[in-house]
Parts: sequence; C-alpha cells; structure tokens
Amino acid sequence: MSSFGRALGVLRTGTRLMRQGPHRILSRNGGGGPHIEPQYRGYPQLTKNQVIQSEILSGAMWFWILWHCWHEPDAVLGHFPWPDASQWTDEELGIPPDDEE
Amino acid sequence: MAPNTHTTLVTSLIIMILFVLARPCLLSLLPKEKILATLRFLTVKGVLTAFFLSLPLGVLVLCVEDNALAFSIPWFSTPSFNIFFSVKYDLYAAIFVPVALYVTWSILVFATSYMKGNPKIDHFFLFLLIFLISMILLVSSNNMFQLFIGWEGVGIMSFLLISWWYGRADANTSALQAVLYNRVGDVGMLFTMGWMATNLNSLELDVLFNNAGNYNLTPPLCGLMLAAAGKSAQFGLHPWLPAAMEGPTPVSALLHSSTMVVAGIFLLIRFSPLMDGNQFALTTCLWMGALTTFFTAVCALAQNDIKKIIAFSTSSQLGLMMVAIGLNQPQLAFFHICTHAFFKAMLFMCAGSFIHALNDEQDIRKMGGLFNILPTTSTCFTIGSLALIGTPFLAGFYSKDAIIEALAVTHLNSCALLFVLVATSFTAVYSLRLIYYVTMGQPRFSPLLAITENDPAILKPLARLAWGSIVAGLLITCIFTPFKTPVMTLPPLAKTIAIVVTVMGLLFALELAKQTSKQLKHSPNPFTHHFSNMLGYFPLVFHRMAPKMSLYFGQHLANQMMDQTWMEKSGPKKASNTNESASAALTAAQRGMIKTFLTLFLLTSVLGVLIVLY
Amino acid sequence: MRASQSVREQQPVNMAGVGFRRWAQLLSERKGSGIPALFPGARAAAGLAKDGLPGSFPKTPEEKAAAAKKYNMRVEDYEPYPDNGEGFGDYPKLPDKSQQERDPWYQWDHPDLRRNWGEPMHWDFDMYIRNRVDTTPSPVQWSSACKQLFGFIGGALFLLYLGELFPSYHPVGPKQYPYNNLYLEKGGDPEKQPEEEVKNYEI
Repeated sequence: MSSFGRALGVLRTGTRLMRQGPHRILSRNGGGGPHIEPQYRGYPQLTKNQVIQSEILSGAMWFWILWHCWHEPDAVLGHFPWPDASQWTDEELGIPPDDEE
Repeated sequence: MAPNTHTTLVTSLIIMILFVLARPCLLSLLPKEKILATLRFLTVKGVLTAFFLSLPLGVLVLCVEDNALAFSIPWFSTPSFNIFFSVKYDLYAAIFVPVALYVTWSILVFATSYMKGNPKIDHFFLFLLIFLISMILLVSSNNMFQLFIGWEGVGIMSFLLISWWYGRADANTSALQAVLYNRVGDVGMLFTMGWMATNLNSLELDVLFNNAGNYNLTPPLCGLMLAAAGKSAQFGLHPWLPAAMEGPTPVSALLHSSTMVVAGIFLLIRFSPLMDGNQFALTTCLWMGALTTFFTAVCALAQNDIKKIIAFSTSSQLGLMMVAIGLNQPQLAFFHICTHAFFKAMLFMCAGSFIHALNDEQDIRKMGGLFNILPTTSTCFTIGSLALIGTPFLAGFYSKDAIIEALAVTHLNSCALLFVLVATSFTAVYSLRLIYYVTMGQPRFSPLLAITENDPAILKPLARLAWGSIVAGLLITCIFTPFKTPVMTLPPLAKTIAIVVTVMGLLFALELAKQTSKQLKHSPNPFTHHFSNMLGYFPLVFHRMAPKMSLYFGQHLANQMMDQTWMEKSGPKKASNTNESASAALTAAQRGMIKTFLTLFLLTSVLGVLIVLY
Repeated sequence: MRASQSVREQQPVNMAGVGFRRWAQLLSERKGSGIPALFPGARAAAGLAKDGLPGSFPKTPEEKAAAAKKYNMRVEDYEPYPDNGEGFGDYPKLPDKSQQERDPWYQWDHPDLRRNWGEPMHWDFDMYIRNRVDTTPSPVQWSSACKQLFGFIGGALFLLYLGELFPSYHPVGPKQYPYNNLYLEKGGDPEKQPEEEVKNYEI
C-alpha cells in the first residue's frame, strides 16, 4: 500500500515538474517526503497531501456540525419548552372558577 | 461471562498494559547502545499496543454490572498497619486510560519529529513514558499510598520535563516554580493521608467510603482540595502552569494540558462520594473554580505568546471542571477532562508546528497568514479552537455546555454563574484572536522559511487528534452512563446561554480585530491591558515579595544579627570590651599618689595603736 | 573576539577556584616549617580566612582607589557600605539589581548567571540570582500593582459572597409543601389554623 502511495507521489510530483517548470519539487526518498526548496519572500510550495488533508478535515468538521444541526437541533436549542406558569389555565390546574361558591 | 473469568481477564489485561508500557523502561537499563538509540520507536509502539489493549479492557468494564472491578494484593504489612496494592478499574479509569493512551501516542509520534536532533532524545521519551505509567497508576489506584506514588510520579516527571533544556535559567526557574507550587498541594495530600491513617488505620479508599458517615469529613476534604488546587493550578496556586510553557511543546501538550494537570480534578472526582453531603467543600470548590476560570480567562486576553494563551485557556478549563465538582456533578467534570484532552493536546501540537516552521518564534504578533504555508496545521488549529469555545457538536460542546447548563439551572451562587459565563465569552475572544493573528491575514514572519509541516510524523498525529476533537464528544456521551439524573428540561435561556455568550464573544473579538486594520488614533488603555498582560500582577507581587522577604531577612538575620550578637555583643569582642572597661575603672583607682596613701596608712595605724593602748 | 574568548576559556571560571588558588599560593610562599606552616595564617574559627574577608573601611581617596582596584571596579563606580559597624569593610555597595534584569543579548562569560568573570558580586548575590528575586522594572508601580491585584481578589470574593446570598434560579412557580403548606412556619396565626390540608394538585 505504501509503495503504491509512493509511486503515486512520484507520478504526481513528476506531472507537477512538467507543468510548473521553474518551481522544482524533487522526489527524494531519503528525507521521508518530497524535498521542498526553501523559499525567500515566498510561500513554500505545498504538497497535494497537505492541501487535501486540510480540506478533508475542515470538510468533515463542517459536515459533522451541519449534519447534527439539521438532525438534532434540540441539543442546542433545548428539548422541551419550559412551562410558563402564567399561561396555565384554571381548567388545567383543576382550580374551580371563583364564582362557584 | 462468569464474574471470576471476567476478573481474571481484566487483571491480566491490566498487567499486560503495564508490562507493555514498562518494557522500554526496562530495556533502557540494558547497556546496549543499539537499544538506547531506538528507544523512542519502542516507546511509541508500546504506547500504541497499550492503547489497543486498553480498548477491550474498557469494554469489559462497561459490561460489568456496577462498572467497576477492584482487586487488592497485600503489599507490605507491619504489626499495626497494612498497605495493599489495590487497583480499582472503574468507569473513570476505563474511559480515561484509552483517551490518555491515544493522546499520548499521538504526542509521542509528534515528538519524534519535533524533538529530532535533540541530544538524549530517547531519554525524553522514557521520561514521557514513566510519566504515563504514573498517570495510569494514579487513575487506577484504590489506595492512598498508591495514589500518592502516582501523584508524585507525575509531579517529578513534570519537573524533569519542564527543565528539559536545563541550560536555560528560565526553564529551571519554571521547573522550580512547578515543583514548589505542587509541594504546597502535596501538603494537603499528606494531611489527608495522615488523617486517614490516624482515624481509620487504613489507606484504602473503600474503608474511607464505607466509614464516611462516622467522621467529620471537612478536614480531609480541605486537604484534598488543597492538593487538587496545587496540581490543577487553581487560583492562588496557578502561576506555575503558564510558566511551565518553558518546557518543550510535546511536554506542554501531554503534561500541562491533557493529562497531568487534570490529576487534581481527577482526585476530587475519585473522592466525590465524600463531597456529596459536605456543603462547605462544594461551596469552596465552586468559588475556587469560578475565580480560576474567570481570572485566567482575563489573563489570556492580552498575552502574545501562543503557548501562554493556550496554557491560560487550559487553566480556565480546569477552573470550569472545578466548578462542575462544586456543582456536585463529578461526571461532567470527568467528561470535560476527556474531551478537553483531545483538542488541547492538538492545539499545543499545532502551536509546536507553527513555532518550528517559524524558527522558534512564539509571538503571535510575528505570525499571520500561516494558512498559506501550513494548511493542515492551521486547519487542525482552527478545529481545536472551535472545539474549545464550544462550537455545537464538536468535542468541547458536549462537556462544556453540559457544565454551564447544569450551573444555570442549579439553585446556586449567581456570581459563580456570571464568572463562568464571562470566562466562556472570553474563551471565544482569545481563541478567535489566536486564529486571527496566527492563521489569517498577512504574513509578519521572517522571510526565510526552512521547515514545513510536511512530515508524516507531524501531519498524522494532528489529523488523528482532529478526528478525535470532532467526534469524541458524541462518542463518550454514548459510552458514558451518568450516575446522576442529567438536566433534561431547562428554560430556553439556560439552554442557549452558553452559545449566546460565546457568539457575543466572537462578535466582540471580530469587531476588535476589524479595528486593527484601520488607522485609528492610538489610545492605549494601560490599566486593563497591563492587568491582563502581566497575569493580573500575581507573579509580580507574590514571586518578588515572598522570596525577597525571606531571603533578605534570612541573610540579615544570619549575618547581621546572629553573627553580630555572638561575635560582637556576647562573644570575643564583648570579652575584650569588658576587659577594657574594667581595666579603665581599675586604672582610675591607681593615681600614683603613694605619699598620700602612705601618710593615711601611717595615720590610721598610729590611731589604731593609740586606741589599742588606751 | 575569538582570541579573547579562547583566553577566557583558559582562565578558571569558578570564583571559588580563584580563592583556592590564592590560598594554595599563600601556603607555598610560606617559608617556615613545622606545625605552624600547616596553618595558613591565623584562621578564625568562624568565617572566612583573612584573605577572603573585605579590608578595612577606606578613608582616604588613595585607599578608595586601591579598594576599587581590588574589586575590579572603576573608582567612579566604587562606593563602600557606610561604616556603621556592620562589618562590611571596604566591600563595594552595588545597586540592588537582579541578574535577571541584565541584558540577555550581551555575551556574558556565564550566560546563565549573566555575569562576567571577575565582576564584583553583590553582597546579596545569592538572593539576586536568576531563579530568585527579580527586580526588573515593571510598567506598573508596585503599589498600584498590589492595589489592583488585591482589589481584584477582594472584589471577586465579595461578588462571590453576594452571589451566595442571592442564588440564581428560574422557578416555575412558588414552592409548595405538603399538609398545610408550612402554615405555622410561614407566620400564620396559630389560633386560626386551617384544619384541612392544602391541595396542591388534583389527579
């Protein structure tokens, strides 16, 4: 599996090399990852792995939050309405009307 | 499954976990360079194995009726006092141990990258491992003596790891602070142990719980609360926690956020059956927790060091846990411990990744725009911060919201509620400030960057903990059966208040952040800024006054008063002075008037003779 | 810079070592033999050897200059402790400043003590080392810092006390009690005590 991934990585960096020209990303297996040229006054190049992983993580977080917000909003907003004593009618409480006597 | 088989299985699993964890420690004793050089990988593997072993253990404990398994073996006995090795693996341990192992595993993997090239890196891993073993001993012990060993074990490892870079005087000072503040707490611990030994003639927790009704429990509970305040950095004993950030970042992530500092809270959770009816202890915990969470949140607002901000947020969350103890809801406190471990460890690891990428720059004013160079770290950082402020359905929400709800509907101190709410809103403010200054906006760091996050040893643990921070809350809610009836129905105001104050804090922080991009007249308000920035003057006042007083007076007492008294006022100088004055007095009598004396002598003799004759 | 550093490395760094070397020199210079030679000078039973003690209080400018030279100081900087019989002798009175306060970026000979070799030590040097008393000036006055901190703590504790007196709760209705709803306890007239129980609910 890892060799497969490595092969993919080589392919990917290869295509990038073809595409980007002056920006060089060399694949060196000794250093444990693609070799990234230090940059002066510029952002270092990112590998696809980093970007995809960050996208997946934030995507998962938002999916998790929104999915739960859709399906169980009561965890945030409360389960039951809090009873309001002033709204209770005499009938519900079993209190006889004042003019009964 | 028969209970007997069950106990055997659980016992053997516990022993296996301990063995797996102890193996690298034992191997390090072999005088083989080859083993020493690969010890860190052995440690990582050992912790991972222990994590997988702890999962079935947790399931087994959950299957048992009363969710606890205990066994005790006589350890050593004297004619009057016996000490047992007793283990209680209950629901708390069953959940906490896998969480701690998972977090530790991630942090250890991270440390293989972060500490790369440090001399003695394998010892560093050993220290972390010994710390972990002490922590497991602490959470699974059913005996004060054993608990104390774990307690002191985590304390001493914390000291050693804070002063890991022992060449730096700041690191040494911080380590000393940590160890001294923890000693204050240990006084309380020892007091409680002494109380138990005197009154119960046993250090077993079960004996204490069974006989709790016969004693006034306030003194031992005071000792325990002092111990918890020291270890969990509650107000008054809090300054060591932000100071401990001098240690390496993996240490901050493991000890000073997710595991060691919660030991104090865990102690009170263990003893919560005693606190049940003790109103004094509960009120003290509530006050202490509310004050801590509020004060440290205030301190976090104007800090500029990324690790200090996260440390203060840890302290604030510890205060929140203490509030939950004060509410007599130890389960909620425990729940918060578990969820907090995930995102706080991750926040620290992200901070470590940032610091490394920027050549050891910790000041958030010199960061900015880091999303462009460290996307995964920034994402994890954001997730962790969102989980911390209690964004609905992330890990922090489930526990934090539950504590605030419980506080809002309980008939208790309204000011504690106010403090907690203000602290919650401040959490949102400083977390957003962190995200804003670190990951967003324009870069303000040095233009040469050499290291990036592009190392599986950084990305993988971060991602693991990020998944944990997303789903852990719901997972643990599913596993954890509350012992007390949870609050189900509550007024909409109480239900939504946590969210409302958090959103208010966020809006406030956004408004403030917007101001920074405008050209406004500079009108600093040093009064509030300095109070927050200088940690409420607490270290300023106490760390200068107390040592200065004692050292100055000690020095002068020893040198000026004692020495002067002995050497000058009563010793040799006194003798010479006395002799001088005595001889001067004698000299006054010797005027050299021999003739007068002789005449007088003659006269008196003649007179005497005459009187005798007649 | 390089050369001076290498010279520094050759010199002994430990001040105690310097003292010991002088002591050894004293021993070797002594010409006598027999038992007295084994005692370097008349060493007091308590305290330092005579060599390690400060000299007598300097009175003339020449003495002052000699003392300043002895302590590796400039004459302008040298100021002895007042001669009021406390035994400081000619020991220089250095400003009460901690080592922590010193410049962290300067190339100190002992970076962790922030001290150069041969520099005079403060009389209370052990009090002012970096993990003890810190005298770094703070932007806030000491008194104002104390006032704010203790004001904060006091205010917070007072508020908590107030909060204890006025707890927060959202009751749905007034609290109800069984039997006669605490008629006597609520200050009802004992003469006209209602016979029948109050019914709070009816099923």
